[in-house]
Amino acid sequence: MIFYTGWSKKIFTSDRAFLNLIYVISASPFLVLVIGFAISDYTVLNIFQNSYIDDPIFYKVTSAWGSHEGSILLWIFLINIYGIFFLKTNNNKEIHKQIIFISSLFILYLLISSNPFQKIELDTTLEGLGLNPILQHLLFIIHPPTLFLGYIGLIIPFVLASHILISKNFSEDLFNQMLFWSKLSWFFLTFGIVLGSYWAYSELGWGGWWFWDPVENISLIPWLLNTALIHSLQVSIKSNQLKLWSLNLALYSFIAAVFGTFLVRSNLIVSVHSFATDPLRGLFLIMIIAYLFIVTLRLNIKSVNYFNQDTFKIMSKETFLLLNNIFFIAAALTVLVGTIYPLFSEIIYNSSVSIGAPYYNFAFNLLMAPIILLMAFAPQIKWGEHKRKNNQTFYIIAISIAITAIVFYLQENIFFALSVFITIPLFIKSFLVFFKKISKDEGFFAQWLAHLSIGLFIVAAVYTEQFDYEKNITFEKGDSSEIVFDEGTSLLLENIKDSDLSNHQKISVDLIVVEKNSKYSLSPSKNIYQPSGQVTNEVSTANRYLDQYYATISMIESDKVSINLVYKPFINLLWISSILLVFSIFLSIIKRK
Amino acid sequence: MKILKHTSNFLLVIFLLSLFSIGYSNENKLNDYFKTIRCLVCEGQSIHESDTEFAINLKEQIKIKTNSGMSIKEINQELVEIYGEQISFNPSKNHFLLWVMPLILVLVIFIFIRNKLKFFYKK
Amino acid sequence: MKKNLFLPFIGLFILAICAFYYFNQAPSQKLEAKQVPAVLFESKDFYMNELIDTQNLGDFYIINFFASWCKPCLAEHPLLMELQSKGIKIIGVNFRDDEDNFIDWIEENGNPFEYIIRDDGSIAYEMGLIGVPETYFINNKIIQKKIQGPLFYEDIETYL
Repeated sequence: MIFYTGWSKKIFTSDRAFLNLIYVISASPFLVLVIGFAISDYTVLNIFQNSYIDDPIFYKVTSAWGSHEGSILLWIFLINIYGIFFLKTNNNKEIHKQIIFISSLFILYLLISSNPFQKIELDTTLEGLGLNPILQHLLFIIHPPTLFLGYIGLIIPFVLASHILISKNFSEDLFNQMLFWSKLSWFFLTFGIVLGSYWAYSELGWGGWWFWDPVENISLIPWLLNTALIHSLQVSIKSNQLKLWSLNLALYSFIAAVFGTFLVRSNLIVSVHSFATDPLRGLFLIMIIAYLFIVTLRLNIKSVNYFNQDTFKIMSKETFLLLNNIFFIAAALTVLVGTIYPLFSEIIYNSSVSIGAPYYNFAFNLLMAPIILLMAFAPQIKWGEHKRKNNQTFYIIAISIAITAIVFYLQENIFFALSVFITIPLFIKSFLVFFKKISKDEGFFAQWLAHLSIGLFIVAAVYTEQFDYEKNITFEKGDSSEIVFDEGTSLLLENIKDSDLSNHQKISVDLIVVEKNSKYSLSPSKNIYQPSGQVTNEVSTANRYLDQYYATISMIESDKVSINLVYKPFINLLWISSILLVFSIFLSIIKRK
Repeated sequence: MKILKHTSNFLLVIFLLSLFSIGYSNENKLNDYFKTIRCLVCEGQSIHESDTEFAINLKEQIKIKTNSGMSIKEINQELVEIYGEQISFNPSKNHFLLWVMPLILVLVIFIFIRNKLKFFYKK
Repeated sequence: MKKNLFLPFIGLFILAICAFYYFNQAPSQKLEAKQVPAVLFESKDFYMNELIDTQNLGDFYIINFFASWCKPCLAEHPLLMELQSKGIKIIGVNFRDDEDNFIDWIEENGNPFEYIIRDDGSIAYEMGLIGVPETYFINNKIIQKKIQGPLFYEDIETYL
């Protein structure tokens, strides 16, 4: 008893320990669910529906966030984990109160609309219904948590921004903290999006890496806003301007992240990643968003008089960072409008529209192109006022146009030529400044690498999309001859195997791509999963330098098999540049600490 | 007047880029066209990515039609007539507001900043 | 933030009501006032090997898409038989099917169709078929109603 009171006194006299306790308690239900999945406790409905007794333990645990309830629980868990880490650097009670308040809103949501621990009667079959096999993939284990870490990471800039606006304490320290947390969130968001994209590429078997699917769009919006935020925070810190602007961006980024979750979870918008729906869920999430939104608006109205004296010269880094912001915000809004436009069209005009790749390829690329061009020159512009003038810019543009003309002459593809036009200045400039600046500037390398990798990414992405080659090839039974795929390349059928694995049956086809001097073996397969009987296509890829052969079985019958073979040039460069981008932001985070 | 000059240069760049983007079409590749047709029985996929009977049939019919000399534009028109506007991921230019949205947004944000932040501070 | 929580909650309340009304709406189905495509009348009946006799059909008839590989088609089959017994003419369109399987299927389950046309997909394309089974109610050559998925008793009640 004495021990007990002593202990509790210690806890409750220290705010820090008390906050920690709250965070740990709020985070724990998720761990309970994970344990439930690990030991296959089928008395819980959620576990019964989403796991299967014969699944490997690895997939059993990861099924915990395969369902709607589980993922919201993960969401709450991560908010509290962020809270614990944030407590290490900042123990302002007011800020933590807000985090706990938002976390409890989500807990309330879970309690009211989707209880993850709902019990069922025991007399059903005790094998479990099985996780959607398309989600049984190594990447899927890290993709949702990473993306969630990114979304929820935005909660810290959100609460910091609202704290700054309430307390009117505009110290540089708080802005620096905001920059750190938004960079951390940006790191996870980028990594999560890349993982998701790679998962879609390697698992869905459609040969694409970005589909402009609503769920992808929804993850892109916070990413774009966060990118804008990171850039405008530089202005706020270095030249003490655009502060209200940055704070607003921080507020809206988090709202965008929650809004995205709302759109996906409520199934307002049809997508590949659909979850079971329930009007109550949508209603409650809308209330959370409305609450955050109204808080933001009120904070703005109250503080709008504090900053409208931002002034700077037109030829200055500030202007260029602001331009970056204009385009990134416009891009985010365009993606948002494109995603919800079908909804409005349905309600207002009573006609359904589908908005997909053709629209975004136009609108998004239109907004990104000027950014990429600016990216070549803007980092070298001086803060305050840029006075020195030289003709370098002119020469670089001239070289770029010349190279573009050559590329266009050789490839006869306007889109690739355009992408070359906007990225060449970046490459030249990156090369020129690298040796000049590398020893002087601490944070330079991370920024340099990030911008360069975006340039590489654009070239790779446009090249892949414009020059991929796809062919459907059918083999008759006992066919042992080569079938021509492309000039100088043909495909050979080796054999067809049928094997039983722990939770699925696997039919795989061994193929060889024969080129003049080299051979690449591929073995795409079809998996038939128990207990649902669902069939999935397993992709097989073979690397050829930066290019890739990408094969899937499009149809298999007793006497013939057809293979869909795609040649994807430069696809590996796309993944390498994405990883470089993630790595560069990682560098900039560790540099700061 | 320097402001005007910079602004006009800037808008010119956007205008040129938009000209390039409008020319976007994939008529050279049937597969790329399939990517713009929505599979109505699937969830947000195009018929290129789907193995449903609906998608397979549509792909076959479109192939037959192109072989008989119909252009992709004509086929697209016919598809929209039969299945409604939702069949195409490429919304028609009737949705004018949607297509000019990026430019409107840039201008709106630009004007907003000019008024609020007075950042083109002269002297 | 704590001082005045009243205003946010009014907003929340209004939004909640709006959202509730929105979510409660049943998705509306548009009526198709489309003509029956001519391809249908250019194709030959499977058993009789002749064109469809439009005089025999009359003004009101039904077009039903089916296939032997489609399970829901089996579910709606008794309803089609009942419609036939009430003298309603049904054109069956066999969608992308194996010929032997199709003949077996008809023999096994009975033939409710006045005419049967085997379709490789082109009729389905012209009709705007989304999946089998799908049923069109035709009056005066105009599609009055279209039902996707299997028929239920409520759908055909008025015609019996």
